[in-house]
Amino acid sequence: MLKRRDAEGPGCKMADIDDSLWRPPRSCEHYWAEWKHCRTIRNFLHHYYTYGETPSCDQWKRDYQNCQEWEENGSPEAKQFLCKSEQARILAKQKHAPVWTMRQSPPRDWHLPLPGEGKSK
Amino acid sequence: MEGADAETQREREREQQQQFSYQVFPERFSEGKPKRSFLHTSFCTHNQKCRLMLLKATELSPFVKLLLDAMKRSGCTVYRERHFSCEDCNGNVSGGFDAATSQIVLCQNNIHNQAHMNRVVTHELIHAFDHCRAHVDWFANVKHLACSEVRAANLSGDCSLPNEMVRFNFGLKQHHQTCVRDRALRSILAVRKVSKEDAQKAVDEVFESCFNDHEPFGRIPHNKSDAKRAHRDFQNRDRYYSNV
Repeated sequence: MLKRRDAEGPGCKMADIDDSLWRPPRSCEHYWAEWKHCRTIRNFLHHYYTYGETPSCDQWKRDYQNCQEWEENGSPEAKQFLCKSEQARILAKQKHAPVWTMRQSPPRDWHLPLPGEGKSK
Repeated sequence: MEGADAETQREREREQQQQFSYQVFPERFSEGKPKRSFLHTSFCTHNQKCRLMLLKATELSPFVKLLLDAMKRSGCTVYRERHFSCEDCNGNVSGGFDAATSQIVLCQNNIHNQAHMNRVVTHELIHAFDHCRAHVDWFANVKHLACSEVRAANLSGDCSLPNEMVRFNFGLKQHHQTCVRDRALRSILAVRKVSKEDAQKAVDEVFESCFNDHEPFGRIPHNKSDAKRAHRDFQNRDRYYSNV
């Protein structure tokens, strides 16, 4: 699994204590762009082709509105709703147990020369 | 002693499967050592075209660029000269991932246009990405192979609506999943000596988990715009995960 770098923010839980460092996980423009894209005919078609049903786009709109609310008024409720929404997205992706065991480090031979090459002279 | 016997049996199985797959890629020795003839590869037209298309794919395809970034981030930086090889292959195979040498094989005699090259490079990079991030037992565990093939068919654009229509596979509602299952099955049978029933069973058992594993894209990219959006999200993941 790709490792996350905690360089930029305290995360939703820590931000309950001190939210001066917290900012929305995505920019508000990003939420707006996702909502707009979700509602295109092309996306409807792709979603139906993939899942056999039409997409639901309302959550992106709610996220955009909460993002705006946070940016403009610093609303703690808006922050909570946004956090819960993104956490739900992450949990939805983790619903299924992986088939394989994840590595703790990359394969040792990835960067080695090809067999037969790079032998010392 | 029983454990040692089982381990020996698994090793034997692994070697047999490796030998079977190398029949498709005859330029790889059975030990997994690709032969290199610089003069031959320099002047062969198929090879030059393959290398040029590969270069374009790595520089222009948003699918490929995202995967290369993800590989780098996972500690497996990809170098064209080291990790790609343009070779002649048997049959209709377009490419493969050789875990023994950490190389992606591109079948220069079967890839004839840039769009196809982009898709093949994407497909094989997904296998390489899985190899980099997980302990994938490519030769002895058909479920592991099935999972990576499901992901590659799902995320590479192999099963896009236009591609399926060109194959005269007409379907709309949820057809993407039908295509992914079918292409994963074909890929397994092309490189492993397993029965169709065993391969199908493996695909069925892993499908739910692996079809919904969209790493590193975060979504199923149906076209270049989706791939660009996914790449933007990928570049933003530090901010994302540190504020959730």
